[in-house]
Amino acid sequence: MKRKIGIALAAAVVLAVVGGIAIQADEFTKKDQERWETEYMSVVQKGRALWTSPKLGTNGVACAQCHPNAANTHPETYPKFQQQLGRVIALREMINWCLQQPLEGKPLALDSPDMVALEAYVAYERRGVALAPGKH
Amino acid sequence: MKRTLLGLLVAAGLAATAARAADAPAAKPPLGLPPLPIPEDNLQTPEKIALGDKLFDDKRFSSTGQVACATCHDSKKAFTDSPLRTSEGIAKAGRKLTGTRNAPTVVNAAYFETMFWDGRSPSLEDQSQHPFVNPVEMGLKDHQPILKIVRSDPAYVKAFAQVFGKKGAQVTMKEVQQAIGAFERTQVAGNSPFDRYFYAGDTKALTDAQKRGFDLYVNKGRCVSCHRIEQTQALFTDNRFHNVGVGINDIQKDVPELAEAFLQAKASLAQVDVKVLGDKRTSELGRFAVTRDFEGLGAFKTPTLRNVAVTPPYMHDGSLKTLKDVVVHYNNGGVTKEGNPVNDFLSGGIRPLNLTEAEIDDLVSFMEGLTSPEYASLPSGARTEVKP
Amino acid sequence: MNPIVPSRRDFLKGAAAAAAAGVVPMSLVKLAFADPAQDFTFAYISDAHIQHISGTKFVRNWDRGLIRAVAETNLLTPKPDFVMFGGDLGQLGMKEELDHGAEMLSKLRAPLHCVMGEHDYYLDLGEYWSKLFGPQHYSFDHKGVHFVVLNSILTHDEWTYNRWPSAQERMLQMAGLDNPNGSPFMVGEKQRAWLKADLDKVGKTTPLVVFSHSPLQKLYKGWNFWTDDAEEVQALLAPFEKANVVYGHVHQIQYNQIGNISFNAVMATAWPWPYPNSYAQAQHTMPVLTVPMNRADPFFERDATGWQFIDVHTGRVALKYNLYNNTARTVAWNPATGKPEDTVFQDPAKRVPPQVHY
Repeated sequence: MKRKIGIALAAAVVLAVVGGIAIQADEFTKKDQERWETEYMSVVQKGRALWTSPKLGTNGVACAQCHPNAANTHPETYPKFQQQLGRVIALREMINWCLQQPLEGKPLALDSPDMVALEAYVAYERRGVALAPGKH
Repeated sequence: MKRTLLGLLVAAGLAATAARAADAPAAKPPLGLPPLPIPEDNLQTPEKIALGDKLFDDKRFSSTGQVACATCHDSKKAFTDSPLRTSEGIAKAGRKLTGTRNAPTVVNAAYFETMFWDGRSPSLEDQSQHPFVNPVEMGLKDHQPILKIVRSDPAYVKAFAQVFGKKGAQVTMKEVQQAIGAFERTQVAGNSPFDRYFYAGDTKALTDAQKRGFDLYVNKGRCVSCHRIEQTQALFTDNRFHNVGVGINDIQKDVPELAEAFLQAKASLAQVDVKVLGDKRTSELGRFAVTRDFEGLGAFKTPTLRNVAVTPPYMHDGSLKTLKDVVVHYNNGGVTKEGNPVNDFLSGGIRPLNLTEAEIDDLVSFMEGLTSPEYASLPSGARTEVKP
Repeated sequence: MNPIVPSRRDFLKGAAAAAAAGVVPMSLVKLAFADPAQDFTFAYISDAHIQHISGTKFVRNWDRGLIRAVAETNLLTPKPDFVMFGGDLGQLGMKEELDHGAEMLSKLRAPLHCVMGEHDYYLDLGEYWSKLFGPQHYSFDHKGVHFVVLNSILTHDEWTYNRWPSAQERMLQMAGLDNPNGSPFMVGEKQRAWLKADLDKVGKTTPLVVFSHSPLQKLYKGWNFWTDDAEEVQALLAPFEKANVVYGHVHQIQYNQIGNISFNAVMATAWPWPYPNSYAQAQHTMPVLTVPMNRADPFFERDATGWQFIDVHTGRVALKYNLYNNTARTVAWNPATGKPEDTVFQDPAKRVPPQVHY
């Protein structure tokens, strides 16, 4: 049975290569790029919505109140030693710190989609700035 | 080098004190501590340290002959006078005079950038001169009686000649202070259960409650920003001054009058020393009395939390009896009794914490894990009051 | 090698330097380079952003900022002649917020004058605010100085009256600093006409101090650090030998000189804002002169916030910024250079790391 599948697959590959369909190498097209960029921006928008939301914490304060356009978040410096946590951390741990401290709310799970969205927005607003990990 | 030093210390009768092996100045600091700061003009030598210890213990440097540095900084009590709330100095008319502030430990004081609860002294050496001439501490009018003794007592004459190469009038308070500073600088202690857990990777060194407490310490408890823990070492202090709502809460209405009076008086640092220990209300001005800056109103230096469990009572005025009381004070957002008004000058780092009873208990447990092995047998003020 | 600690001499030198830089809060700022004149001080508290959560609950963080500024202002000796509140008392212009803020301001022991901010205005166009604090633009004279208060956070009529389905929506839209749906601040034609008539009566050698919420300059449009008719307003102030503008809104130390006019921003008591320089995706025209405030440590809720007292000294203002958790800073007019300057940090070689972080 397995051998049959193996032969079928090999045949399909040969046909595909001859036919011009890219299924082996990562030969994505311009259309793929544009579509994936849009996929990414949809999460950036979600991050922006969270960034300006008074509901992330319990006191109505939003990230954007102190960080308009995610300014002064310095994502390019992470991971770095964060004095407020006493150790070297990644950006999302500092986001969680802010959620708990100035926003008086609960931390997000480090792998939560909301956390990814927040990081996507922060990084997007800081695009083009060179990495400077560890910079205080 | 190490053996000679140890021998000297034993000979000087320090076996009873909590001395540990790494006394040599260039030795590796205890686990969890950074390299020891040593002033370029007062390097450590075994002889100087021994001389400093002798001066530290000498009761003759008081107007009644009864009070030495060691009276309030007792090596058998982790260099404090626990459980006294505020320290007791010379006796007058049969009653011991008391100041307004709790005696801080000398252990790890070498890592502070300023001395005293209000930071009015910049170094161990400088600090040592003040209690001698404070009316409620050693009560001397000036340092002359001390100089008379160290210039004439044969043991001191020999020691000062050996350590500083000075005799007679060449021996000044500077040498006395340097010797005392050098001795105090040797009182360092780390290697607590926390240090072994966090810096030596011993996952069994802390109990589960202490591990939970550590997590609270860094997150919900909001402790770490002032009582600093860092990636490779922990001083448990930021060497800064903060108004956390102790003492000043009781004088809130008086602050304008007191502050103005203080400014008009424009006291020198030596006068500040006398004023703040002599009058409780003035004492509560805290760092303001030294800098005359709004920022310092009611603010006191962040003490180290190393060995905190065995040095009750707590805060600059000794007003909180147990560590549990301390955590409750912070949990209430800077007031000892929940619901009391916070003072207007409260540090921006202090706010209600919404800790549960269990979380408060875990934080206390964590702080018990900060005691170095040499002090582990002292009574703990973590949960119950230590009575005299 | 063990680190070396400084000797006592260095410590004392440091303390003396701090004192010289104006750390003593309760005296008039003694300026090294100005002539004595009829000195007086007034205090400036701004941008409290009292924010309602629900019922009688307000954001504690912002409350504490205003409470502390008021308490410290009351400690000033000698007492300031008056206190200005620089705008944005409330966050969403709600009656609860303005009342709560007014109650805290009522503890001040000096006469109070208020400036309108956009967070006070866009819910009910300043109707309740005026009941509490009076006219939205006005002028007064004090000890030979002419003071003007402008409502400089107005915007295009279309945006104010026609764009939004409700007052609440309009207020929410204006409340977001970086909101692309916002609209630029302006003084407006009507008020400029009033200003011209008011200033026509004032001699051109009389010192002039204009209080405004928006900067009366064009600094960064994305965050409304901007006054759309800045040039027209500046033209009205330019004939005065000693014209000073003090503005809020930006929540940070800024200062600038354009012709005869000095511009000085005040701190917020609530929270700091980043400098537009730190937003990588936009252009700005921030004054190069400004030495930035220290970056905030967000653990300390009052860090990078503060209040100020202002000396009017030979017709120019000197601001003493009282900054919690930080060394106080003084920005004063330097007659040698003809600009406002920080008395300690203006020289780039003297700046401390938190100031160059941006």
